[in-house]
Amino acid sequence: MFEDIPVDVSPMYEGERIRSANMFVELAGPKSWGAELVQVEETVEDGKVEVIGPELQDMGEGDIHPLGIKIEIQGEALEKELEGVIERRTHELCNYIKGFMHLNQRDQIWCRVSKEALEAGFKLEDLAKALLILFKEEYPIIESIAITIMTDEDEVQRFVEKARLQYEQRDARARELSDEDVDVFYGCVMCQSFAPTHVCVVTPDRTALCGAINWFDCRAAAKMDPDGPIFEIEKGEVLDEVKGEYSTVNEVVSQRSQGTFDTVYLHSVFGHPHTSCGCFEAVAFYIPELDGIGIVDRDFRGETPLGIPFSAMAGQCSGGKQVEGFTGLSLEYMRSPKFLQADGGYERIIWLPKEIKESLSEYIPGDLKDKIPTEEESANIKDMRAFLEEKGHPILDRLEGTPGEVEEAPVQEEESVEYAEMDMEAMPVAPVAYAPEFTMPASGGVKIIFKNAKIYAEKVIIKKN
Amino acid sequence: MIIAISGKGGVGKTLISSLLIKELSETGKDILAIDADPDSNLPEALGVDVDRTVGDIREELKNDTAQGKIPTGMNKWDILDYKIMESIVETPEYDLLVMGRPEGSGCYCAVNNMLRRIIENLSENYDFIIIDTEAGLEHLSRRTTQNVDVMLVVTDNSRRGMLTAHRIGDLAGELEIKFQDLYLVLNRVRPEVEEEIVKKAQETGLEILGIVHEDDKVTEYDLEGKPLVELPDDSKTLMAVSGILSRILRE
Repeated sequence: MFEDIPVDVSPMYEGERIRSANMFVELAGPKSWGAELVQVEETVEDGKVEVIGPELQDMGEGDIHPLGIKIEIQGEALEKELEGVIERRTHELCNYIKGFMHLNQRDQIWCRVSKEALEAGFKLEDLAKALLILFKEEYPIIESIAITIMTDEDEVQRFVEKARLQYEQRDARARELSDEDVDVFYGCVMCQSFAPTHVCVVTPDRTALCGAINWFDCRAAAKMDPDGPIFEIEKGEVLDEVKGEYSTVNEVVSQRSQGTFDTVYLHSVFGHPHTSCGCFEAVAFYIPELDGIGIVDRDFRGETPLGIPFSAMAGQCSGGKQVEGFTGLSLEYMRSPKFLQADGGYERIIWLPKEIKESLSEYIPGDLKDKIPTEEESANIKDMRAFLEEKGHPILDRLEGTPGEVEEAPVQEEESVEYAEMDMEAMPVAPVAYAPEFTMPASGGVKIIFKNAKIYAEKVIIKKN
Repeated sequence: MIIAISGKGGVGKTLISSLLIKELSETGKDILAIDADPDSNLPEALGVDVDRTVGDIREELKNDTAQGKIPTGMNKWDILDYKIMESIVETPEYDLLVMGRPEGSGCYCAVNNMLRRIIENLSENYDFIIIDTEAGLEHLSRRTTQNVDVMLVVTDNSRRGMLTAHRIGDLAGELEIKFQDLYLVLNRVRPEVEEEIVKKAQETGLEILGIVHEDDKVTEYDLEGKPLVELPDDSKTLMAVSGILSRILRE
């Protein structure tokens, strides 16, 4: 198939690096520029190969030149949306060619040609020819394909600019990619060495808790290392679209958590929130007094309105536990349109560290921006309530719906122990929240502090005015 | 072939590593030197400058990720791969990768997992890989030195150096890390106490692959901050290391 190509073409050369000591020329890379672009066109002259600019034989040893790889494809079933996926293969396919190194993608490519390949008579034209065959073999839906290799400075410059516009459009589309658009989510158990029951579920709308890997990264990882810690999860049946509950996700989480959890809601801190590893970037925590949710990140050193810092809170819910009212999350998830959507999203957020709030300013709905307090406005529940009331935060609507004023509840010092011992288990109630520690405001100079409190209620009424 | 050099801090790991690299360079093979010691001074011993370490790249990627700077459609493996390649110092004789500073706070599981794979893939492109490892034993318990063919444990005549050598031997056994060969190299040995030291060294249970004597020239280079690889060809230290290499290569 590759008789015309003077060097070997085979998957066995994937991962080949060419040391500068063995290199004839460098193309694109950190000291030059370049790009690769796949474009779906209406008509393409099948098999056309063109090199614009100097060929390898016109270059000198050790030279660095810009490089553009333009791949035009046509096919009945080809859609513009597939360009990115097909373009992604350029990296692997280029690396099939012995003596040709290719790194990264888009306008960040970096290529080298070995001295050995040059001596064998390899030309850039051969690169194009090999790619023609490889792409067609890889994607039978490609009916015709033409490849242009550019090394001319001005030509590559223009090409890179044009390509960048395409990448931007593609990224905009990728950002819009949502859980509904895909059939496969990914699971990650990389953290199980210290959080044995933690299963990270990564979806287009929810990055891993550590913030390090998103759905696209997982797709690449699962492909590269199919037996590795990142694996596919067929989405399966949608059980609750708002909470983010899926039948197969539940099954896989149960299986990978050694049966510890059988239900996971991807977009809620209530009920069955996502398990938390320990290395999450931030924690969302329920603030029962105000029925809202606060978020604190790893870099925030002070105390949260619950009276404890990030580290203490992380300690409460990490290690692969599923703790109601708490969930570890990544900062990127706070940019997701599904961010805690089952709980009300940003309308439910009543506290954020200032730094995080600023970094998210584009993503917090405009009318809420001034209504969410940070550590500067409220260090405790009392201040927070005052701030929320002053600014008219939507959480107030929820609060008005809750029955009874806590302050007026009968509280007796000392004797109150008896109340605490009342048998409450007999009631068929649903857990509403769990808190490692929270303070209830009370009158008469006393403060009631609950430690490791689980709140149960017979009925929760959420009223909207 | 992967050769790792370990031992207690200050016993001369970097001296042995840098001279091994110099001697191996003569063979014309593809060589990758990895400085895996956070207090790295292998670049100084080799006389090369390093702009960016793997540690720097790790932080860069973490920050870019946190700030949402990575384009949605690009994957981090490829970006890391590129950055690692960029950080490699390429000389005509060998390439050098410096691991650099240890991790900060937060989660490094994902990035370390990616780095491990990338460096593994990268390593397959070389005939020889020389790793100047962290002082002490941590690299063993974290199993970062698993696929090593030859492990050289360097010690001087200090009690603590010997003790560390002893422990490395024990630990390697306990953790069932399969080194093909595990040897001891004695450094900075004064000829008049050589016999005694060799006897002590034999108690570690490790085979002694070579003895490097105390060398005023090395001390002088160290003091002046001159690259150790510039030691003259007739340097007795260089010749001793050359002998060690021949024995490793079974010439």
